[in-house]
Amino acid sequence: MLFYDWLKDDSKIILFDGAMGTEIIKRGIKPGKIPDLLNVEHSKIVSEIHKSYYDAGSDMCQTNTFGSSKLNLRRYNLENGIKEINERALENIKNVCPANCLIVGDIGPSGEYRPPVGKASSEQWYSSFFSQMEILEHGVDLWHIETISDIEEMQTAIRAVKAISKKPIIASMTYNKTPRGYFTIMGDSVEKCVQILEQENVDIIGTNCNLGSNEMVGLIKETVKLTNKPILAKPNAGKPKIDENGKPIYEYPIKDFVKDIKDIIDLGAKIVGGCCGTTPQTIKEIRKIINSL
Amino acid sequence: MSQEKFYEEISNAIVNLDEDKVIELANKAINENFNILSVIEEGFGAGIRRVGKLWDEGEFFLPELMRGAKIMQDCLDLLIPHLQSGVERKTLGKVVIATIEGDIHSIGKTIVATMLRAYGFEVFDLGADVPAEKIIDEAIEKNVDIIGVSALLTTTMLGQKKVIEILKKRGISDKFKIILGGAPVTSKWAEECGANGYAGNAVEAVDLAKSLLNI
Repeated sequence: MLFYDWLKDDSKIILFDGAMGTEIIKRGIKPGKIPDLLNVEHSKIVSEIHKSYYDAGSDMCQTNTFGSSKLNLRRYNLENGIKEINERALENIKNVCPANCLIVGDIGPSGEYRPPVGKASSEQWYSSFFSQMEILEHGVDLWHIETISDIEEMQTAIRAVKAISKKPIIASMTYNKTPRGYFTIMGDSVEKCVQILEQENVDIIGTNCNLGSNEMVGLIKETVKLTNKPILAKPNAGKPKIDENGKPIYEYPIKDFVKDIKDIIDLGAKIVGGCCGTTPQTIKEIRKIINSL
Repeated sequence: MSQEKFYEEISNAIVNLDEDKVIELANKAINENFNILSVIEEGFGAGIRRVGKLWDEGEFFLPELMRGAKIMQDCLDLLIPHLQSGVERKTLGKVVIATIEGDIHSIGKTIVATMLRAYGFEVFDLGADVPAEKIIDEAIEKNVDIIGVSALLTTTMLGQKKVIEILKKRGISDKFKIILGGAPVTSKWAEECGANGYAGNAVEAVDLAKSLLNI
C-alpha cells in the first residue's frame, strides 16, 4: 500500500493538507453551526478546497468529517444525517483526489467529556465513533483521529476503528503549553500519551491544533525522544483576529510558519501539514521546502 | 482546634479533592455551631481559590478543577441553609454569562463561571448557543453588574460584538460591564467591540471582574 511505501522511504516527508474552515469562510460561505453540513449543502465548495490542497502539493487530504460522529452531530440535532454527511464527504474528496495521492478519514472529538467534566461513557464514545467509521471505511485509505484532549477518548476511538478497519491510523493529541510543560487540558502528559499510543500500536503518533507552529517545535522535540514511531505535526497559524468585514485573519507570516515546519522536519517528523488558519498557500510553501531537502 | 486550623483543614481537603472529608468538615461546622459565613469564606472559599491557582499554574487540569467546583457547590448547598439568621452571604456582584448563539462550546465559559462563583460572585450561567437578545434580557431581569460573553469560533465571535451593539442601541450599555473571552478572543478584539475588558483565562476573568467593580 502506498502509505506504507511512503513510511518505509526514509527520504519521503509526507505532506498533509491545511485548514478547511478558514477556506470555507474565504469563499463567502457562512459555515453556520457545523462545517460538516457543507458536504451536503455546498459540496462543490468542499471539493474545490480539497482540490486546492492537492494542487498545492499535499500527498494526502482529509475528509470534511471532523464533527460527523454520532455524539457530535447530536449536539446540533443532526444525528439522523450521519450517513448522508459522511457519504457525501467521501464523494467530495474522491472526485478530486489525484492518482498517487491518498484520502484520509478525519475523526474529530465527540464533543462530550467523561465525568467529572461531562457525562460521556466509554460505551457512548465507542458507539459514536464506530457509527461514523463504518460509513467512511469503504472510501478512505487511512485514518486521522485528531484534536483529542483526553487519551481515554483517543483509546476508545482507536479501538472502534480497529474493530472495522485494518487501515493505518494516525492518532493526534492536542496539547496546551503549561508552566510545567505540554499537557492536554485533561492533564495527560506527552509521555503518558505517547506510551499509551505505542501500546495501542497506532502507525503514527501525531499532534495538532491549539499550539502555533513556533510552540509546536518544542513539543516535537520532546516527542521524538519518547518514541521511534513516525511523528505527525499539524500546528495552527498563530491566533486569528477579525477584520472589518467580520472575516478571521491569521497574522502569523507564512514564511515563519514554514520555517517552523522546517525545524519540525529537521527534528524528525515524518508527516507535516497545517491546522487552523493555514491555507493552500501555506502548503505550497511547505512543498517547496520539502522538495528542496 | 483553633478556627484558623479548622479553616485550613477545610481548605486542604478541598485542594486534595477529598469529598468525604470536605462533607464531614461541613457537617462539623454545622453541628458545632461555627460561624457558617466565615467557614464558607475562609475555609471553602480559600480552598477553591487555591484550586483555581493550581489550575492557572498548570498543576491541576480540567478534571481536578471540575471536581473541586462540584465539591464546593455541594458544600455550599449544605451550608447555606444553616447561615446564622440575619446573616446574608454578601456577593461581590452579579454576573450573567453565556456562550454566544451559534457556538455550542461551553467548557471555557463554565470554568469562568465556576471561578467567579468560587470567589463570591453570584453567577447566572445561561449555557451555550444563547442569542444576544436573550443574554441582554436576562442581564436586565437579574439586574447584573457584569455580562460575560464567550465564543470559541472565529465565526461566532461577531456575536460578541452584536451584544454590545444592541446594548448601545437600547441606550443601556453603561448599565453593565461587558467582558469577553474564548480561545480566539484577544484584548484587541474586546477593544474593537467596545467591551470593558478581556480575560485570557478564568483567574484573569476573576481579577478583571473585581477591578471593573472596583473591588
